[in-house]
Amino acid sequence: MRRWLPWVLLGVVLAGALAVGASGDTAPRSNAERSADLAADLRCPTCRGQSVLDSNAPAAAAIRTEIARRVEAGQSDDEIVAYLDGRFGESLRLTPPGTGLAALVWVLPVAGLVAAAAGVAMAFRRWRMAPAPTVSADDRRRVRRALGQEP
Amino acid sequence: MNAALGSAGVTLGLAASVLGVLALAAGLRRRRTASALGTGVMEAEGLLRLGRSFAWLVLAGAVLATVAMEIALVTSDFSLAYVAANGSRSTPLLYTVASLWSALEGSIILWALVLSGFLVALVHRFADQASDPLVAWATLTMLVVSAFFFALMLGPADPFRTVAGPVPLDGPGPNPLLQNHPLMAVHPPMLYLGYVGFTVPFAFAVAALVTGRVGEGWLAATRRWTLLAWGFLTAGIVLGAWWSYEVLGWGGFWAWDPVENASFLPWLTGTAYLHSVMVQQRRGMLRVWNLSLLAATFCLTILGTFLTRSGVLDSVHSFTESPIGPWLLSLFGVTVAVVLGLIGWRGDRLRAPGSIDSPVSREGAFLANNVVFAAFAFVVLLGTVFPLLVEALNDERVAVGTPYFNRMTMPLGMVLLFLMAVAPALPWRKASGELLRTRLQWPAWAGVVTVVAAVAAGARGLAPLVAFGLGAFAAAAAGRQLVLAVRASRQRGGSVVAGLVGRANGGMVVHLGVVVVAVAFAAASSYASSDELRLEPGQTAAVAGHSVTYLGMNPPTDDGQKTTFAARVQVDGGQVYEPALNQFPNATQTIGTPSVRTGVRDDVYLTLVATPEQPDDPAVIGVIIQPLVVWLWIGGGVMALGTLLAAWPGERKRRPTQPTSGPGARAADPSPEPPAELPAPAGMA
Repeated sequence: MRRWLPWVLLGVVLAGALAVGASGDTAPRSNAERSADLAADLRCPTCRGQSVLDSNAPAAAAIRTEIARRVEAGQSDDEIVAYLDGRFGESLRLTPPGTGLAALVWVLPVAGLVAAAAGVAMAFRRWRMAPAPTVSADDRRRVRRALGQEP
Repeated sequence: MNAALGSAGVTLGLAASVLGVLALAAGLRRRRTASALGTGVMEAEGLLRLGRSFAWLVLAGAVLATVAMEIALVTSDFSLAYVAANGSRSTPLLYTVASLWSALEGSIILWALVLSGFLVALVHRFADQASDPLVAWATLTMLVVSAFFFALMLGPADPFRTVAGPVPLDGPGPNPLLQNHPLMAVHPPMLYLGYVGFTVPFAFAVAALVTGRVGEGWLAATRRWTLLAWGFLTAGIVLGAWWSYEVLGWGGFWAWDPVENASFLPWLTGTAYLHSVMVQQRRGMLRVWNLSLLAATFCLTILGTFLTRSGVLDSVHSFTESPIGPWLLSLFGVTVAVVLGLIGWRGDRLRAPGSIDSPVSREGAFLANNVVFAAFAFVVLLGTVFPLLVEALNDERVAVGTPYFNRMTMPLGMVLLFLMAVAPALPWRKASGELLRTRLQWPAWAGVVTVVAAVAAGARGLAPLVAFGLGAFAAAAAGRQLVLAVRASRQRGGSVVAGLVGRANGGMVVHLGVVVVAVAFAAASSYASSDELRLEPGQTAAVAGHSVTYLGMNPPTDDGQKTTFAARVQVDGGQVYEPALNQFPNATQTIGTPSVRTGVRDDVYLTLVATPEQPDDPAVIGVIIQPLVVWLWIGGGVMALGTLLAAWPGERKRRPTQPTSGPGARAADPSPEPPAELPAPAGMA
């Protein structure tokens, strides 16, 4: 029990620090933060690979202004995204949806990781089950000679 | 003239590659029959030597092509279509020279040049093993790849095509973004040295499969080649991130853009290989896996080039419009098929006799590392090609962007940091709980103290705090290994540096660099604050503890190539920075040039969003404050340094039969270790 004491202490200190650190996260977001978070998840329609938040293109600036106006007006995130989707005729979201064919992009890596972990676990099981190789007295002598323990 | 010279170079390169392949194939064939018949050995070796000497001609062809293109670029020879499309008389010399890699055709020349350089280096390095079939097959594989790239230049990506019709008087110059920062002259060549460098270990992997010598010999022969390629690729990626931070003006350094992902994918599989190869060298296991990782790394460089160069990412339907797409895709397919075929054919020799005793062991940690790296690579690959797959299958458009990649890769990154902390303390075969408690105690406390200190300093948010803690844990674990190694080296009468070289110690220095990058990444992306300020001349605003004063606009300057509107902005009452907007005559949109106050604690990143209509009107200044950004580049430098140390020949500290693991000799390791890590079989105790 004594040996584990430092580790228990370590765990308690860590949990305490993380609890304090994570609690500061829950403050309600300001309107500006909400707008920025929304803009970061939307594709700038006229650029390549940049979000509405990062882009300097006029279209991105226009969407940022529109988002800020609607956030001030008290609309929810979903309402704003739905409005923008309707206006552009396609989804601008950079986060792929969790439904339909697109959900595969979320499911496949997780499934793959689970399968890989299961495969490794099975390999270890097989290795443990495998009979230890038989070592003859001759082999042992060779090893001792190689290690210099025997002339 | 230049066109003729360049085409001659390309033709020479292709001819020499093909002839080299034929000579080597004939020599290898003759050698097989010679060993059966007992005669003709001399002829066989003559053919093999002949085949190897073609490597020099391949290099000569590539150099000729490169020189011809550079002369054409520097002398503004607009009769070449490439120069007419990418050169201009007003581009400064540095960027003119760098135009070689600013578009597809020129970058294939660079690819061929680097590849033939590696080819000649390989031939030169293994000159005394010329008749070894393993070396001959590796050379042959390299020659096949180089034949492919020279053929590209004769076929679909001809850099020396001349313009149809009258020769233009001037060209548009490279994309304005590519002539904005000197890093453009360094970053692509670095990346190519890494990308193409992985062809060498891949060629040896193929050779090992063909010759059936799938043991550990070829691994030892290619260790430094792989490290070198990996080091260049690492440096290339970090420099690319730095370039995009300094030039693109959105304050970020990594956007999970397909071009970035294309360079990151081989890095992930290459890193996995560098770790799992140690299991094979030590235990003879994971043969198929290591071969597959090398093949995957090579294939991913080809696939990455395909994705970024064929236009397929704009739309799946556009890739047939670019002639190079089908070529690269074919090479990718052929490589995958050949490697799979070879592995299947050699399946019986690839089965390893050993087994891994315990998951809590060095080899167990490497195995976990490989699972995570493979998953990481899979996420990045899937996210990059997923929009294409959906479009091809369903004709619907889905964007997969930064939020997806961040959410999916963050947990994997955390696991990797944790493994980096624990793995160096693990012995081979099996670890006892007592041993781990002793070795991990201080590194673990370093992690906890860091979390407490970060919380006390006001850092909030679970993800960055966990990253900081794991980072400190991993750094302390690496530091512990290095201290032990240096101490052991001193005890043997060696120098401090002698304790830092070699694979294990250099690897720990790389780990320190990775931790620095990871902590900087977590801090910069979690604690950035940005604002757009509308300031009158002389007005000051405060952003995240920094004061920003707009002093006024500089008079517009015109350097004959672009018109620059620069604002003068004073940061914290000190130095004046000049973020600017550039108007290029041939571009509709203005290109911003950010100006960055770099600091050890944080960067103040300034952009000019809008110029004032009248001199006394307010200007709009974008300000982004990000902590620790400079440490990304420093960490990258540490990784490069560690790679060099790892490739440096270290002194032999133990005989191969000695069962001790890890850096530092056993005598110097103060932690109590069980007397025998090898479970002693009954009867030997």
